[in-house]
Amino acid sequence: MGEVGSSEINQTARSPLGRSSLRQAPWWLIILGIGIVFVLLAMMRNEDYAKTLGYVLGGVGLSVFITVVAYVAALIIGLIAGLGRVSANPIAYHTATLYVEVMRGLPMLVIILYTQFVIAPMIGAQRNPALSGILALALGYGAYLAEVYRAGIESIERGQAEAARSLGMSAGQTMRHIILPQALRRVLPPLGNDFIAMLKDSSLLSAIGVNELTQLARIEGSRTFDYFRAFNSAAILYLILTLLLSLGVRLLERRTSSGRR
Amino acid sequence: MDDAKPIPHYIGTPIITMKGISRRFGHTLALDNVSLDVRRGEVLMIVGPSGSGKSTLLRCINYLELPDAGMVEIDGVVLSRHGVDLNRIREHVGMVFQRFELFPHLTVIQNIMLAQRIVAKRSPQASEQIARDLLAKVGIGEKADSYPVQLSGGQQQRVAIARSLAMQPKVMLFDEPTSALDPEMIKEVLDVMLDLAREGMTMVIVSHEMGFARAAANRVVFMDQGRIVEMGAPEQVFDNPHHDRTRLFLSKVLQH
Repeated sequence: MGEVGSSEINQTARSPLGRSSLRQAPWWLIILGIGIVFVLLAMMRNEDYAKTLGYVLGGVGLSVFITVVAYVAALIIGLIAGLGRVSANPIAYHTATLYVEVMRGLPMLVIILYTQFVIAPMIGAQRNPALSGILALALGYGAYLAEVYRAGIESIERGQAEAARSLGMSAGQTMRHIILPQALRRVLPPLGNDFIAMLKDSSLLSAIGVNELTQLARIEGSRTFDYFRAFNSAAILYLILTLLLSLGVRLLERRTSSGRR
Repeated sequence: MDDAKPIPHYIGTPIITMKGISRRFGHTLALDNVSLDVRRGEVLMIVGPSGSGKSTLLRCINYLELPDAGMVEIDGVVLSRHGVDLNRIREHVGMVFQRFELFPHLTVIQNIMLAQRIVAKRSPQASEQIARDLLAKVGIGEKADSYPVQLSGGQQQRVAIARSLAMQPKVMLFDEPTSALDPEMIKEVLDVMLDLAREGMTMVIVSHEMGFARAAANRVVFMDQGRIVEMGAPEQVFDNPHHDRTRLFLSKVLQH
């Protein structure tokens, strides 16, 4: 369980199962955090290592930027497709299902390569691989997010929609004012997890030459022939990012599960 | 229900007419060719064992459940007719559910205001005024800014009634409104319903509250296996039932 930070305060407190909060403390996370700090310190002491780390660090900005933009786009695409998946309209349903199944059936890397080398040339945009990358991530993740939305919508009890309809609300009003606000609250944690997954998958954009974190590590590795340092640097930077984000998701999870709404 | 029998109702022309309603769930026939009239100002109770089709019949009135066969007419409008806007019909047919079904992400006052705003298109001021008046009427004016989970079951159900009343319904449907309540909360909900009956609201109630039926109902319908077995004044159905099935059911319900 994610008992971050509270373990010092009530070490003697016991849960009903008799497990002390000391035991529930996220030791793996604390050990990992300390490990990361040590590794970083060791890296900084070595001048070459510090250089490599500094160079790879330059890719963090683009990785995060690409992920944020693609994720926002995926949130919108996913919402539209998710609404299609629960729609009574057969055209909307089958279009959305087709999209979701095709995207989920393709490896992310293939979607990325296809976007850059097939779709982008068709619209004359292959000069900017970052743009293709954002498009590919948004399209691929839109399908996963659509299923998250769908699950959230379907988890709302039928009686809620019946109560809304019995007041004279249309199907659209019921979705917008009653179902979606509740569903969104429930799917916040899984949505957050997909953000983390997308950050990791953004490393695949190195395959089309986007200068994000992984690509810089590759460049630095082939320049210095020291892949050990280059990829250690990349790995530690990814870990810092994903651990911070997963802590955020845990907080979100606790808030939505304990929240009254 | 300490008061004597309420108001001699003005019982008018039929406001709800159901003819030959059938509804099938898989292999079970939940409703078997049921016909029923509800007249203006009438309080009609539907009783019967579980699975007798009483809730399904109630839900067919506002087409929350679509009948497989038969006709429903509300205030002169046949619901199945082409071009009928069901949302406009439902707007004026209030419904109260066993599980309250308040909107948990909205406060009490927002629960009552939402449909007024987006369905009836009333101004925020008018909606809020109506909501506050209704909350006072059901006796929980001070809970306006609470969220539903902060209320007891009885309070939630009273909010649900207020929410329906805000749409100025011609008819109120109650689907086992007290079945999910702790015993000590049943009375507060029944008192609100009794007030409504006194005001002349047309009400169709699926419930086993026999005391309420005697105090407020003009007619009781007994259903079994998707059919209306018996129908009449509460005294007649409860004290002098014509059918064995009614008698058997009543003996089970009344013996404790």
